[in-house]
Amino acid sequence: MRIQFTCNGKRVQLDAEPDARVIDLLREELGLTGTKEGCGRGECGACTILLDGKPVNACLLLAGKIIDREIQTIEGVAGADGGLHPIQEAFLDTGAVQCGFCTPGMILSTKALLEENARPEIAEIEEALSGNLCRCTGYGKIVDGVQEASRRMSAGDTGTNGEVAA
Amino acid sequence: MSTIGKQVRKVDGVELVTGRAKFAGDYRFPGMVYGSVKRAGVPAGRVSEIDIEKAQQIHGVLRVLTAKDIPGPNLIGVLPPFDQPLLAADEVRYAGESVALVIAETAEVARRAVEAISLTIEPIEPILTMDGALAPDARKIHENGNITLSKKLIKGDVEAAFREAEVIVEGTYETSFQDHGYLEPETVCAVPGRRFTLYASCQSPFHIRGHVAANLGVPASSVKVVQACTGGSFGGKDDVATEIGSLACIAAQQLNRPVMIAHERKESILGSNLRHAARIEIKTGAMKDGTLVARSVRILLDGGAYASESPFVTMKTLIHAAGPYVIENVEVQSTSVFTNKTYCGAFRGFGVPQVTFASESQIDELAKKLKMDRLEIRRLNGLKAGVANATGQIYEQSVGLLETIERIAERGAAQGTTAPGSGQTTEPRPESPEPADRGRYLYGTGYASVAQGISNGAEGVDVTGASVQMSQDGSVLVGIGLTELGQGSRTVWAQIASEVLGVALETVSVRLVDTDAVHDSGPTVASRSTTVGGMAVYKAATEVKQSLLSMAGLMFETEPENIELRDGFAILKMDDSARIPIPTVATAAYWTGFPLMNLAFSKAPDANFDDATHQGDIYIAYNYGTHRMDVRVDRMTGEVTVLSHQAAHDVGRVINPLGLEGQVDGASLMGFGLAHMEKIRYADGIIQNPNFADYALPSIKDRIPTETIAVEDPNPTGPFGAKGAGEPPVAASAAVFANAIADAVGVRFTKLPITREDIVEALKGGNRG
Amino acid sequence: MEYLRPSSVDEAVGLLDSSRGMVLAGGTDACVYMAEGICSPETIIDIGHLDALRGIEIASSERVELIRIGACTTIAEVAASPVLPASLRQGAQAVGSPQIRNLGTIGGNVCNASPCGDTLTPLLTLDASFVLRSAQGTRAVQSREFFTGPKQTLLQPDEILKFIEIPLPACTWTSAFRMIGNRKGQAISQVNAAAGFCINDGVVSKVRVAVGSVAPVPLRLEALEQSLEGRGIDEINLEAIQELVLEGIRPIDDVRSTATYRQDVTVALVFDCLMACANQATEAAGIEGASS
Repeated sequence: MRIQFTCNGKRVQLDAEPDARVIDLLREELGLTGTKEGCGRGECGACTILLDGKPVNACLLLAGKIIDREIQTIEGVAGADGGLHPIQEAFLDTGAVQCGFCTPGMILSTKALLEENARPEIAEIEEALSGNLCRCTGYGKIVDGVQEASRRMSAGDTGTNGEVAA
Repeated sequence: MSTIGKQVRKVDGVELVTGRAKFAGDYRFPGMVYGSVKRAGVPAGRVSEIDIEKAQQIHGVLRVLTAKDIPGPNLIGVLPPFDQPLLAADEVRYAGESVALVIAETAEVARRAVEAISLTIEPIEPILTMDGALAPDARKIHENGNITLSKKLIKGDVEAAFREAEVIVEGTYETSFQDHGYLEPETVCAVPGRRFTLYASCQSPFHIRGHVAANLGVPASSVKVVQACTGGSFGGKDDVATEIGSLACIAAQQLNRPVMIAHERKESILGSNLRHAARIEIKTGAMKDGTLVARSVRILLDGGAYASESPFVTMKTLIHAAGPYVIENVEVQSTSVFTNKTYCGAFRGFGVPQVTFASESQIDELAKKLKMDRLEIRRLNGLKAGVANATGQIYEQSVGLLETIERIAERGAAQGTTAPGSGQTTEPRPESPEPADRGRYLYGTGYASVAQGISNGAEGVDVTGASVQMSQDGSVLVGIGLTELGQGSRTVWAQIASEVLGVALETVSVRLVDTDAVHDSGPTVASRSTTVGGMAVYKAATEVKQSLLSMAGLMFETEPENIELRDGFAILKMDDSARIPIPTVATAAYWTGFPLMNLAFSKAPDANFDDATHQGDIYIAYNYGTHRMDVRVDRMTGEVTVLSHQAAHDVGRVINPLGLEGQVDGASLMGFGLAHMEKIRYADGIIQNPNFADYALPSIKDRIPTETIAVEDPNPTGPFGAKGAGEPPVAASAAVFANAIADAVGVRFTKLPITREDIVEALKGGNRG
Repeated sequence: MEYLRPSSVDEAVGLLDSSRGMVLAGGTDACVYMAEGICSPETIIDIGHLDALRGIEIASSERVELIRIGACTTIAEVAASPVLPASLRQGAQAVGSPQIRNLGTIGGNVCNASPCGDTLTPLLTLDASFVLRSAQGTRAVQSREFFTGPKQTLLQPDEILKFIEIPLPACTWTSAFRMIGNRKGQAISQVNAAAGFCINDGVVSKVRVAVGSVAPVPLRLEALEQSLEGRGIDEINLEAIQELVLEGIRPIDDVRSTATYRQDVTVALVFDCLMACANQATEAAGIEGASS
């Protein structure tokens, strides 16, 4: 079936099998391999993308559900010129990244959080990221990274991408 | 120091935060096809038929391979003789064992075809317990019996010492199997050609190369293994990467098409190695003043169906069962055993978490019996420089255990509630509205100390080779055969090269690990990347530095000793203003004919010990640590909140503070998982919870507020004095949790994980503990 | 497989009538079942986008005021709705993870009918009814009767769940939900509980208590409810409730937990819910005009 949707700000049209998962459309059809498969069952969050601004598991999203909707993947977070988003900068500066496999999902869940709640409490950060598992970091520095991103974005920092963040 | 000890970004961080990094599953090649494995489904049996006909008829299926299609020996393993088939031929020994490989146009078709294969396996009565495996009339799982390895450590005379001891405590402790739980499941991609290339999520690329070549029946030099960006390993991607890597290459050779094999999460849990479960009988004797005089330990390790790393884990438990203490009389027997369950292998900690739990629980029991302060008894008996440890090895330097105890004692005195993750004392976390306390909660504090040997020790030759190459523009490329797995090693190596050569960190690159281009450095295990790996980088960089100093010497018309490299310049030591930019020196060195690339080796001293008693010199260094944990336990639900956690470790020298904290945080949460949350559940030899819903990998809401306290007692054998730190916090964290819970609940728990169920039972006066 | 995307509820039930396909709301359960090979539907009828099935409003039906929730309202929307009672919001908040809540729907949670469904226990205590629609017409089923076994309901193959209707209590109603799982984040309930009551002058009435994951279906604890009816708020304590909780439940050992632990924890969770209600009621009583 033919579907059309917006991906990282660009209009996309493609043919998809009715039972195609969006994670596969992204990784195979669109070559966007930044969205990762960690479990295929919606239990780990590695495949988190934003659907109309809200985090969802791309492994549980059927192709028909994104018709005429907007999705954002990790590839759409940095600026078009490659400049990093404040969240990406903050994660690097606080040591929130180790193996990097959970990182795209973490960044997108963080982006959705900070766009809705610019100065979240720790408990709110934990709730927002409760669907993103990480085995490397122990999460401490990820919380630091989110807090740092929140500080920078509230201070008007736009990262190195030249666009106004949040 | 310019970069050593400084807060720096991971050198490979940008590609990770942008999603551009290529993990093994992200590679795409024209004509690429997908493989999926059919697994035994029964824990033990004889294979009489593998019916692949229906599978072959499914549209999109290209080939179904079984054991007879393996050109080489169809065997992998760690220590020869290898005992583990790539695809089972006549016998299956665990339910997750691979029996056939389907190759199809898509992963989905491959999986459907796997379902369509029907196996006829005559079940054999499985051996599912260690006692069952050791029974005198037990069936032999392997030709040589059910014991993988049994070894002893003997120091002094424990019999006599126990007779002299004034206080004795005894106990039996058990730990469960644990899954690695890395977010990226095992994945490989094999590309055929004049030479084979295998992209793999792995930590031992040369080990894979050797096995792939053997099983393909080709020379090793005709195979190239490239380590893809790896999404966590922790010891889990040794054997499995070799297994699926070999299978993918064999399939790629037969079809002449690239083949990707990507495990699903379920396969990752039941088909790949786990942490050994253990049963540890431990007895410690002391004098009334708390001096430890005797310890005897019998360790049984459940290694599952194949040998894998069991011999090495066995040996490591021998060495570490005495803990970080001076005990004159020690006897340990450690035995690893085969059972018809998923095979066990390397997992961060490698036997030390299991014995540390037993040992540290017993130290607390002793302290209780002697009415002695729990830090004091550790302080009294703690290892020091110049004093022999359990294997009789003496270190003149870098034995920082006592300092870790002091730092923990200090923090305890200044204890406030810390906000998790920040390591700073701030406002307490807001509590969720709870009914009035009314004695609802129990509070407890625990301590635990650990010593963990760094690098391979008795496990064989311990060499790494690193290359450092400087370009004419002064930028540097480091190559080393050890793998970055997220632990930040690439950054540490870059920092070392940057510091030695006096160039900015931003100009140092660390190349991908590609067996063509780096030296075989053995597996990336045992926390050796910083110590042994780092030393190789240090030496290689130093050689290149010599070329630059020699060249600068000619340019300044002075001896090389009078020059130093710093801040991007060659600088005359006696006149800071006399400086030449390093790129200028490098270009001149090239034109003059000084070598700008060097390959250097770092070799840990050979372990030199008596095989019967395990006495001798074994490890290049030890990392020492002491943890403290405060817990709150809900009496009614058994829920545990970790209120604070301090982890003090002697790391020799901190090279990358953020990296070190990240390692201690991650390792501590892994130990917490082992101690409290994670349990592989078996029923009749089949794992019941091979998914992240029912196997409780900790989420962000389960994190513990670890605060890293770095102690620096420089290690003469490590770069800038550094020692590895990746593993020891796992052991200490698991042990400290058990001790904190025992303190809170007033009951000694002798089995890990200590679950909420166990706590509630114990509080009811049930038969736990 | 065929994917059908009707543009109205009428069209949806018509398609369902002729194809008996699988109804898809959010897909968070369906996709897992398909991935596990538990179901491979030939036809999927996606109703998740239908506006008529989404939203939360206060409505009247036969002169009774009620809250009407569209079945395809996401669980996140339910958790965030200020119109809904606390126990239902808390139950919704406990489902899965933020990602699951943004895609999954309350209708899906209800029709999946897992004994540990976190929205089910609150709905039972709120006397919710489920409005079912087929090509033949509409009928309503009380939540108390709807669940017939683990993952089994009275929903027929030609029906969709259209609305969940909750009668607005004609009194000051307080409610709470608690659950415990094998971890603190993204956990499936080993046990959950919901409670609520009306409070007037320190006396409780219309007591409702339900528990999940301790029987094949989520259960109302009616003996307990009756015993608390008409009592003073300060009479609610552990001793008063313990026996009656244990009497009503039939927990089992499974891969998630043990029967013994479930028994112990159910008492704790019911107690916590009732105390949370009591505290809310006491606070509200102390502040004039406060809403619960």
